[in-house]
Amino acid sequence: MAALRTTSRLFAASRPVFRTQVRTMATVNAAQDPAAGPDAKTKTFHIYRWNPDQPSTKPHMQTYTLDLNKTGPMMLDALIRIKNEIDPTLTFRRSCREGICGSCAMNIDGVNTLACLCRIPTDTKQESKIYPLPHTYIVKDVVPDLTHFYQQYKSIKPYLQHSTPAPNGKEYLQSKEDRRKLDGLYECILCACCSTSCPSYWWNSEEYLGPAILLQSYRWLADSRDEKKEERKHALDNSMSMYRCHTILNCSRTCPKGLNPGLAIAEIKKEMAF
Amino acid sequence: MASVVRPTMLRQTCRAAASKRAFSTKLSQAFRPHTKPASALSRQAAQNVFLKDVLPGSMRVAAFHASGRQAILPAEPQVIHGNVNDAASVPTPSPSHGSYHWTFERLLSAALVPLTIAPFASGSLNPMTDAVLCGAILIHSHIGFEAMVTDYIPAKRLPKTKVVFWWGLRAATVLVGVGLYEFETNDVGLTEAIKKIWTA
Repeated sequence: MAALRTTSRLFAASRPVFRTQVRTMATVNAAQDPAAGPDAKTKTFHIYRWNPDQPSTKPHMQTYTLDLNKTGPMMLDALIRIKNEIDPTLTFRRSCREGICGSCAMNIDGVNTLACLCRIPTDTKQESKIYPLPHTYIVKDVVPDLTHFYQQYKSIKPYLQHSTPAPNGKEYLQSKEDRRKLDGLYECILCACCSTSCPSYWWNSEEYLGPAILLQSYRWLADSRDEKKEERKHALDNSMSMYRCHTILNCSRTCPKGLNPGLAIAEIKKEMAF
Repeated sequence: MASVVRPTMLRQTCRAAASKRAFSTKLSQAFRPHTKPASALSRQAAQNVFLKDVLPGSMRVAAFHASGRQAILPAEPQVIHGNVNDAASVPTPSPSHGSYHWTFERLLSAALVPLTIAPFASGSLNPMTDAVLCGAILIHSHIGFEAMVTDYIPAKRLPKTKVVFWWGLRAATVLVGVGLYEFETNDVGLTEAIKKIWTA
């Protein structure tokens, strides 16, 4: 009985979509790879779709198939090929296609990563699923709204704060050892993969800064040239900004650049402990 | 019955949506419930129930979003304070909720290890070590539950609920404290009780 009721409700709920049906079906017809040959290595991709122009239509997964023989090795190649040849309405961010801009961060097969650094699994039986970064507000398809993330980044004053003039009158020098302390921190490209994989950030993103921003905080705390360390620590010294980190370490696990935000947060906690 | 039927149903619709057949415009023969009914008649009935073969793909995927209806704290519309170039506000510093709290919590957790082992290792049951152990466990669990309240009950969204849980936790801690005191003074005490259960 309940099954019947649910089905009818689904049917009723989807009825307003009826007008867009023709369009969707047209897209479906094109969802097959137009260039697929006889010995094609056909791989299926399911991609999260949501269009802000049709706000009443629920987000859904759209399926595309591509011939891997005619597609580049990375997920971003597949996305670009889908957009170019199959469905131009598919929306995603990309820029450098080599893992340095952080634009193409998305959730691919359950892991937050950069599409340009993620190889397409060659096993054609496995179907790939592409979602936007979890627990983000969506602009369109797999494009998340990172405004709050950037606002939080700005709140930690991510720049060198130095009031005394440089001894040589030109530039602030740093020893090689001090410079080495920044390795593993300066490489962060702020793609938000780590922050959006953190359950604590999911629950409390309004106040908790999240692993990416805290790693950046530590990047400036570890910098020998910075003179506002106490102020920086003071800004983190409350229950929400940093201490919502419970060392779940999803951040270190997911980082597409191989950095360790969990360690950086632990270092800040250690510095602030005594 | 409803609760039994529904998850199966949802799983099947989800599975269907995840398949490329969900988007095919053809009537698919392979598209049928996973438990195959014996007779053609009952099969047709089952298909009518699931409506998969008669619905176009765009409608079938509507079932993909099965969550949300019973969400405890569904997401609210996005709120951005200020414009995109403004910085997020920095809370007022409060070391007693920040660094001091963290340090105390870690020291207490570390201290619990020897405190737990000591009475059993030494073999002597001292009311003082018992009292210290009970106190440490009490404060340790209070801090743990406090973290849960802070994590899962957003103060901005549910201020009243937070206050209720807050005082509920305090009441529970006091109650457990009184209970442990009674147990220590009028009964055998914590370590002795564990020993007895262990050898029972």
